[in-house]
Amino acid sequence: MPRYIWWLVGAALIVAPLLSGNRYFLYIATMVTILIPMALSINLTLRLGQLSLAQPAFMGIGAYTSALLVMNLGVPSGFAILAGGLLATLAAVVVGPIFLRVKGVYFVLLTYSFAQIVNLNFQYWTTPFGGNNGLFGIPPISYPGGDLISKNTFYFLLGLILTAISLYIMRRFEKSDSGMICDALNEDEMLCLALGSNALSWRIAAFACSALMAGISGGVYAFFIGFISPDSFGFQLSVDLIVMNVVGGVSSTFGPVLGSVIIVPLLELLRDARQYQLLVYGLCLLFFMLFCRKGLVSLVWRGLRRNSFGNA
Amino acid sequence: MLRVEGLSRRFGGLIACDEIRFSVMPREVFGIIGPNGAGKTTLFNVISGRFKPSAGRVTFEGRDVTGLSSDKIGRSGIGRTFQGVHMFREATVRENLRNAEVIARRHNPVAYLMRRKTSRNVGYDAICEAVGLTSHLDIVAGNLSYGVQKMLGIAMALVTSPKLLLMDEPVAGLNPSEKKSAGLLIRRLRDEFGITILLVEHDMPLVMSVCDRILVVSQGKPIALGTPAEIRAHPHVIDAYLGEDYEFA
Amino acid sequence: MISQILVNGVLVSLTYIIMALGFTLIFGIMRIVNFAHGEFYMFGAFALMILFDQVGLPFFAAVLISGVLTAALGMLCERLLFRRLVGEELPGMITALALSIILQSVALLMFGPADQSVARPYVGTWPIFGAVVPWDRTVVAIGAVLILTAFYLFMKFSRLGLAMRAVALDPEVSGLMGVEPGLIYSTAFGLASLLAGLAGALMAPVYTVGPAMGALPMLKAFVVVILGGLGSIPGAVLGGVILGLTDSVLATMLDSTVASIASFVVVLGVIVARPTGLLGRSI
Repeated sequence: MPRYIWWLVGAALIVAPLLSGNRYFLYIATMVTILIPMALSINLTLRLGQLSLAQPAFMGIGAYTSALLVMNLGVPSGFAILAGGLLATLAAVVVGPIFLRVKGVYFVLLTYSFAQIVNLNFQYWTTPFGGNNGLFGIPPISYPGGDLISKNTFYFLLGLILTAISLYIMRRFEKSDSGMICDALNEDEMLCLALGSNALSWRIAAFACSALMAGISGGVYAFFIGFISPDSFGFQLSVDLIVMNVVGGVSSTFGPVLGSVIIVPLLELLRDARQYQLLVYGLCLLFFMLFCRKGLVSLVWRGLRRNSFGNA
Repeated sequence: MLRVEGLSRRFGGLIACDEIRFSVMPREVFGIIGPNGAGKTTLFNVISGRFKPSAGRVTFEGRDVTGLSSDKIGRSGIGRTFQGVHMFREATVRENLRNAEVIARRHNPVAYLMRRKTSRNVGYDAICEAVGLTSHLDIVAGNLSYGVQKMLGIAMALVTSPKLLLMDEPVAGLNPSEKKSAGLLIRRLRDEFGITILLVEHDMPLVMSVCDRILVVSQGKPIALGTPAEIRAHPHVIDAYLGEDYEFA
Repeated sequence: MISQILVNGVLVSLTYIIMALGFTLIFGIMRIVNFAHGEFYMFGAFALMILFDQVGLPFFAAVLISGVLTAALGMLCERLLFRRLVGEELPGMITALALSIILQSVALLMFGPADQSVARPYVGTWPIFGAVVPWDRTVVAIGAVLILTAFYLFMKFSRLGLAMRAVALDPEVSGLMGVEPGLIYSTAFGLASLLAGLAGALMAPVYTVGPAMGALPMLKAFVVVILGGLGSIPGAVLGGVILGLTDSVLATMLDSTVASIASFVVVLGVIVARPTGLLGRSI
């Protein structure tokens, strides 16, 4: 019975923005769907016991690449987004072998430095990237049925598809042997090495997957907003993603989803009262770190389990 | 099968291993012993790929495996067990064994995607029976007693069908009856499974009873190599252990 | 030109060094990356603004009191938040991040987002080797040197300093020797916050004071610490000097953005090739 309720809640969350016709509501909902894959992307690295602060950089690479491809070379948007994602993945595959040998705090600092370098380059090179002012006038995606579906609805649906695919991949991964192997690497890497597992290659693969998710999110984001600047892909985004994961819960795929659904609208609602926004944010993060480190998902699951026993 | 030549390993100014050489014959149980601080563990770690040697060569079945990383060594057909327990605590014994096999077979994402038929699938039953885990298959690994956990470690190494098994102090922490079973197990591994075994140990009675040949190291240098009987009577060995409370029985 | 670059470089490195020392102290002893370190700097600066500008205390007294207040804040945070996280790198980092956000937002609420100026206690410049040295930065430099010397003497010769170095090397053995870890953590955090607060207070009149002013010094501190080696005090000094000079050269000849890119590339290189930094011990 309880599981049913979650499906209903999910369906309601999806249908409500569509039915309401409220542009702002749709906008927030679309941002949620774009940020869920980002939150999942950082979650993937956390599953391997490492915190990557490079995800905004991958998102930025995806965003700038797809925008520039469409604007300067006239590539169709769909291909451009894919190309952006692939370039981000390529970046991950290039730096992965170097970064992933390092563990703990140093890995965090490495990815942080990498993200800063990428971001600073977006700021410095005004010629392709538009510098601090960013890229304006990114043409929206042209899609069939332009009369039936409004632009906002289209992007929401696109975001939903993106989220659904990311969720599907993450769930399949979680339950499959590759998920088991990654968990094993996190729990006891020495044992896995002794058994002959090429631990580094698995870490690179996971890192590359997370970069792909981030890169594609970036592409969709670019077309959705129509304007990108280095500000959007900085450390603040990493903080947001961390908060989503801490609040939602790291150990389950639904944790980041729950976290995004809560945090993204919260940030938007408080946008006018920026000082309060930050304060609430920081207090939330602190509260969860101190008292509920496993995130909301752990509370929810516990509630679910209790219910099933009660019903049984 | 395994040949070690001129193997040395330095840590800064300290020479942990100094020009060690020996060969392990196929289907042999080869033991390495020595007083504390002799460099046995370092030697073991160099062979198993944890450290690179400062000098020397290690050859396995004719292939040069010197300085290879531990996972490459694992894939070459050399398995290893650990002194402490390494296992997946929250999973059952059965799951542990299955996971070990999958981890070994699908050793990188490319191998994962190319779903090769599991050709090297030694039946778990034979392994479990030999190691003594058959009655524990559905117990969570973390709940097992230490002795059984060590057996699980051995079973997991066996799941990869190694030709050579490196054992790091296999009986450390076991009670006397467990030690006896371990000794019998090691013999069985050689006799029935055809595995060559190289072990590092402190427990003299076990080493003397189980090994075909023994290498004695002291202060990083090899001081004797021979059968248990030869070692027992070797003057250098007795010198090295003088002052230590060892039974050679 | 060159002498001006050198002078600028030296002046700026001194601030970096003070910040780096605090940062490395906390990491070396508690294994926590204190993301809020910049906010302690900011706290010190605002404290000075209130004490010097509004209350009207003499400059050096205001600086000292600001430092002490920051130290108190640091010790409070350590006791409430960080003591339970000692050794847990990731949670420690994230908690520090949360603290940083909270402190920034409190500053925003109290003082508003705009940068504010503090009255300058010293104006004018003096020449050296063809370069121009502003007096206010000279005061900062003198203050920094005094702080550094005091810090060095404390760490080298006081019992507490010795105990701290012991805990950084081996907490377990230190505990067995009778060193009480709680005291050490409080002292480390308090000392680090003191340094950050003093640096912030000294620098407050030089530029402007604002809630986000801690971000850049924090960044520089972390680059210096990586370069010089986590947990190494001479490393922090050496790293600070190198970074200060490099920043000065690059910022003058090219662009401050390029200077920042260069420092991050250096960080990458150092972590990958030599994680212990120039002078650090192996972790």
